[in-house]
Amino acid sequence: MTVERQDCVALDQFPVGMRVLAVDDDQTCLRILESLLHRCQYHVTTTNQAQKALELLRENKNKFDLVISDVDMPDMDGFKLLELVGLEMDLPVIMLSAHSDPKYVMKGVTHGACDYLLKPVRIEELKNIWQHVVRKNRGSNNGDKKDGSGNEGVANSDQNNGRANRKRKDQYNEDEDEERDDNDDPSSQKKPRVVWTVELHKKFVAAVNQLGFEKAMPKKILDLMNVEKLTRENVASHLQKFRLYLKRISGNQQAIMANSDLHFLQMSNGLDGFHHRPIPVGSGQFHGGAAAAGMRPFPPNNGILGRLNTPSGIGGVRNLSSPPSSGMFLQNPTDLGKFHHVSSLPLNHIDGGNILQGLPIPLEFDQLQTNNNKSIIAGNSMAFPSFPTSLPNNNNHLVLEGHPQASPSAFPGHQINKRLEHWSNAVSSSSSTLPPPGQNSNSLISHQFDASSSNYSIPFCDSTIPLNPALDHTNPRAFYRATDLDSNANVQPGVYYDSLQMRQSGNYGPTTDAMLSSNPKEGFTVGQQKLQSGFMGGEAGSLDDIVNSTMKQEQSQGDLSEGDLGYGGFSSLRTCI
Amino acid sequence: MLGLGVDRLQADINRLLTSLFHQGVLDEQFLQLQQLQDETSPTFVYDVINIYFDESEKLLRSLRLLLMDREFSDYKKIGLHLNQLVGSSSSIGARRVRNVCVAFRSASELNNRPGCLRGLEVVEHEYHYLKNMMHELFQLEQQRLLAAGVRYPM
Repeated sequence: MTVERQDCVALDQFPVGMRVLAVDDDQTCLRILESLLHRCQYHVTTTNQAQKALELLRENKNKFDLVISDVDMPDMDGFKLLELVGLEMDLPVIMLSAHSDPKYVMKGVTHGACDYLLKPVRIEELKNIWQHVVRKNRGSNNGDKKDGSGNEGVANSDQNNGRANRKRKDQYNEDEDEERDDNDDPSSQKKPRVVWTVELHKKFVAAVNQLGFEKAMPKKILDLMNVEKLTRENVASHLQKFRLYLKRISGNQQAIMANSDLHFLQMSNGLDGFHHRPIPVGSGQFHGGAAAAGMRPFPPNNGILGRLNTPSGIGGVRNLSSPPSSGMFLQNPTDLGKFHHVSSLPLNHIDGGNILQGLPIPLEFDQLQTNNNKSIIAGNSMAFPSFPTSLPNNNNHLVLEGHPQASPSAFPGHQINKRLEHWSNAVSSSSSTLPPPGQNSNSLISHQFDASSSNYSIPFCDSTIPLNPALDHTNPRAFYRATDLDSNANVQPGVYYDSLQMRQSGNYGPTTDAMLSSNPKEGFTVGQQKLQSGFMGGEAGSLDDIVNSTMKQEQSQGDLSEGDLGYGGFSSLRTCI
Repeated sequence: MLGLGVDRLQADINRLLTSLFHQGVLDEQFLQLQQLQDETSPTFVYDVINIYFDESEKLLRSLRLLLMDREFSDYKKIGLHLNQLVGSSSSIGARRVRNVCVAFRSASELNNRPGCLRGLEVVEHEYHYLKNMMHELFQLEQQRLLAAGVRYPM
């Protein structure tokens, strides 16, 4: 074990000098890791024993900023170490493993890992790990500890250790009691159901983090979140559930697995910030594609998983066994900032009859369980193990959740691409009526997005507006543009869509990038690209925005389609094929 | 004369490396390893690879002992050893060794004894080949350093 002493780390040099504790029983990997970390200018301490690591951590809680640990260690299971560190020291922990099996990754996530890297570790992956420190610090301390080594952090981290959890929970209980009274009054009327989507939950968590977990009050959270039409009551009850969840998580790791009611599906899909755009739904199409409620096998791709560096969107999903309300929360009380709200995805069997696979949390929520028709949302989101995104807009629940299939490869770098995929999925689902195309090119999908992503951006289950017109105008063109003229299927818009459908089960991941990058020459026009970027940028924050952009898109599409040689030219091209 | 020797040796080294990359024995991870070598750790590659050899040989011996045992049944343990081998091999860029270890690991996951035995043989074979190549590389490198008049503590 080597210990290096650098007592003075200039605060303002962070992440330089960030103190990392590296644990791996494999000497080769440990040496390499140490060297890599040095290259990143971190301050490194190594040990090949988990026990020793724990001792080091316990001896001085403020000595390290981040822990990187191997999973398979002889003296102690890496996951166990992970849990202990998370609970006792509230430090970000990154898991390392030679095993890319999704089960392990899932386990890592559910045990609270900030990240899960595959060996061989590359320096690029390590260069960004400092973000986890910042995130965690923001969560626990309103940003005082940004530099990672400030003394102010000490007090907080001390508080956060051991008894803190319990104490906090007590405080929460008190808070909850206060809030509950308030909740009763206004809730006498039927309220539009709020679906706690990933987006929303993320905001919620960010707000809670900012306020300080112990001090978060619904009113303040609501203010910070700044979401239209979200009420304090919504926030309050969500907060209550969140706390319960956290309590449960830290209190009883096992219970999570035990419950048979809910099978939370991993957010393997949810890994890394899939800001899924929910697919509208209604069709059973995604069932198969949904890969059993979202458990999408990870492509055994070191590169991709290795790049799983910024699990911004990871909803710590554990198989939450327990009551619905626990379903979607973070598994680690301290990981507030990091995880999305994850919907509980009951595996296939939510309620008999319920076609919603991967039922979104809403069904689980007490408040959501009313027979409010808004549960359309649930219906909409059935296809994927996703989080029903909800805009606090009653009538139109925008299902904006990621498609399970696309998930595995959504990574920070590819997020945008992924989104496109989601949209394509969304599109395909909504265009179920289209005849199956013979075509095969993935490029279709991506281009489809380019062309008309916004059109499909609003997958209301019953809405057909954006889709059809868009189809007519844009898809064929997009299609042609995108694909080699060899494919025959291209004639109809429908074809295109169906190909998307057929694509459902495909892994779009790898192709997306290529697709996107091979940006079809020109025609894909400015309008489209603008749309695309505009679309991408927006996090479906507001339904209105999306609708507007869609409308604009349609208009611009329409314009383009007419005279544009590129588009017009296709028909003639087609004949040439 | 000195200069010529160095160049020639360097060319030999490059040729050997290229060939190893070509054969898939090594991959770009090895390059990363080389990049980590600098003035502060001038023998980094050599050190790490030697650590790798030591650890791997222990694992391989252990694996062989386990599998040779008639009453062997601890596939899990084999899996753990292999996991470590996979991790370390991939970390130094020993791609072929890593791949055959993965295959071996799969056989162990299926509790397939004959498969494991075969797997072990293949791994041992690849491992020894790699080791020989690395030795050759180090020798060339050392000669090159000597020819260049550089002295490093080895």
